[in-house]
Amino acid sequence: MWTTVLISGISLGSFYTLIALGFALIFGVTRNFNLAHGELLVLAGYVAYWLWKVCALPFVCTFPIAILVLLLVCLGLQRLFARLSEPLELNSIVLSFGVAIVIQNSMLFLFSGNYRLIRIPSLNQGIRFHGFYMSYGQLTLLLLSLIIIFLLYIIMHRTYLGKALRATIQDKEAAALAGINVAVMGTLAFCLGAVLIGLAGPLYGCIHYLYPSTGREATLLAITITIFAGVGRLSGIILAGWIFGLAESFTVIFCGSSWREMVAAVLLLTLLAFKPHGILGEKL
Amino acid sequence: MINSSSIKNFRYGLSKRLKLDKVVLLMALFFLLLLPVLVRHNDYILQVFTHALLLATLALAWNILGVSGSISLGHAAFFGAGAYASALLSLDSGLSVWLTIPLAGFITTGLGFIMGLICMRLRGAYFALATLAFIEIPRVVTDNWDGLTRGSLGLVGLPGFPSLHLGSWHIDFYSSITASYYLVFVYSLVLLGLVGFIFRSNLGLALQAIREEEVAAEAVGIQANSFRLLSMLLSAFFTGISGACYAHLVRYINPGLVYGLHFSAIPMIFAICGGRFTITGPALAALIIYPLDQFIFHPLIPAGHEFLYGAVLIFAVLFMPAGFWGRMQRNTGVVLSTKPSSSVV
Repeated sequence: MWTTVLISGISLGSFYTLIALGFALIFGVTRNFNLAHGELLVLAGYVAYWLWKVCALPFVCTFPIAILVLLLVCLGLQRLFARLSEPLELNSIVLSFGVAIVIQNSMLFLFSGNYRLIRIPSLNQGIRFHGFYMSYGQLTLLLLSLIIIFLLYIIMHRTYLGKALRATIQDKEAAALAGINVAVMGTLAFCLGAVLIGLAGPLYGCIHYLYPSTGREATLLAITITIFAGVGRLSGIILAGWIFGLAESFTVIFCGSSWREMVAAVLLLTLLAFKPHGILGEKL
Repeated sequence: MINSSSIKNFRYGLSKRLKLDKVVLLMALFFLLLLPVLVRHNDYILQVFTHALLLATLALAWNILGVSGSISLGHAAFFGAGAYASALLSLDSGLSVWLTIPLAGFITTGLGFIMGLICMRLRGAYFALATLAFIEIPRVVTDNWDGLTRGSLGLVGLPGFPSLHLGSWHIDFYSSITASYYLVFVYSLVLLGLVGFIFRSNLGLALQAIREEEVAAEAVGIQANSFRLLSMLLSAFFTGISGACYAHLVRYINPGLVYGLHFSAIPMIFAICGGRFTITGPALAALIIYPLDQFIFHPLIPAGHEFLYGAVLIFAVLFMPAGFWGRMQRNTGVVLSTKPSSSVV
């Protein structure tokens, strides 16, 4: 049983990392809290569901289209955020809260409130190995998440663009002084975030029922992981994602699945109460 | 504690208010007073306005905390706790609804104290995030504590307001929506008066000083955290009472409904659209936006009509950070806030 919990925790945790990365990137570069993050994720999930169910596309082909849709939405969102005045963080929370309501209701209008799930039968089978069991779904989730995180790591740490992004995360003004176009970096962060959400959304639709108001959970999760890790620390985000996934798995095993929703909230409140500036990062 | 000349200036400013907004307020008041006669006791319209008035009280209560510059996204926690506390008390202990409602208010004040302990060290965005996360705790507890709350299916058949006998007068809230309407109307008027009183009292002045510049406020002897906690307790108390009223008016509650994001979002949206730093703005926004939603958008787009709330919030944040009432008062020369830059959300 322990190995099962561990496996599901790590696999779920890697996926949570993937969800949180988009949020962390956008927040880090632009200092905008995007409370509509979960709604965007669910929107990507819905796009994938619709393509998969109605247009009967193979599941893999839904990713590029979901990314495309998300890119359009995120660029629009970025235009809205760019108009905000100081204090940026608080204003962005209020603004994106409004955006979240609009997206939620648009999804309700377009896709109705029914529960949807992208059901891929082969993902439910699994491998049994020396007494522990892992479904293909968990394996896919784990591998895909790790691959995407690795690619993002390469972009952030091995390319010039990544260097510029990291510089902007660390200090906006100093980055601007060094000749980095901070506004372009902001747009790029939104684009990268959109790609990450577009990749995570269809996967989210496979493991979680989609309905318009389910996004809040993912938002809370992304915020918790980002604050836990501190901004600009990829390794911290992975660690936070795993801790989070394990905490959820253990809660489900020991307290029942109905208490799962409280994990994010309790973790976030504890974090904010004791470490308002993040655990690994010096300064949020 | 607070510089007395600033109080004088402040009070002078209020008395100098141009007549236009007073006229608007009086007209709104008369409209609401005569509404049942105007609509010939049309049940649907009265129901919508009863609900609008209840939401107005939520916005007013939210704004007691909002005036200190904090934005709470977690008032659904108080609303739901108030609704559940009063519902369970009236169901299980058999107390009169008139008694369980204030009791529910005190219980939510306790919850507000817990939230205050956790959140008071945080400022700005982090305060908002913490309050957002806080809703989950009472919601999940209510959902899972089946023995006390009867679980996620909710409570059905709650007692309504018992009828009142005032001499020869007999007011039956059970069958007459007009009576319920006037009940909520009176409550919102009382709360409006209280909020006006609080805003002009030393507490209100201190809260505004904290909002403008916390360090400077501390320097003149305002204990920012105690005042912020006090405003949160007051806000929680009245939100709890509104929640309790909701439970006995609608007579059906479940955790997803009363702890839903809806009841966190709505007071914030009304307060920001109406003007966070005004006394009546939030209530007026509730009385305009909610009927607009129910009479026009709901019939047009049955699924997804609530996008209106998001849209007005986005519009207000980007183009009218002082809210429409705040803007109007500024144009007429008087606002509670003196520093224009501070009125940014």
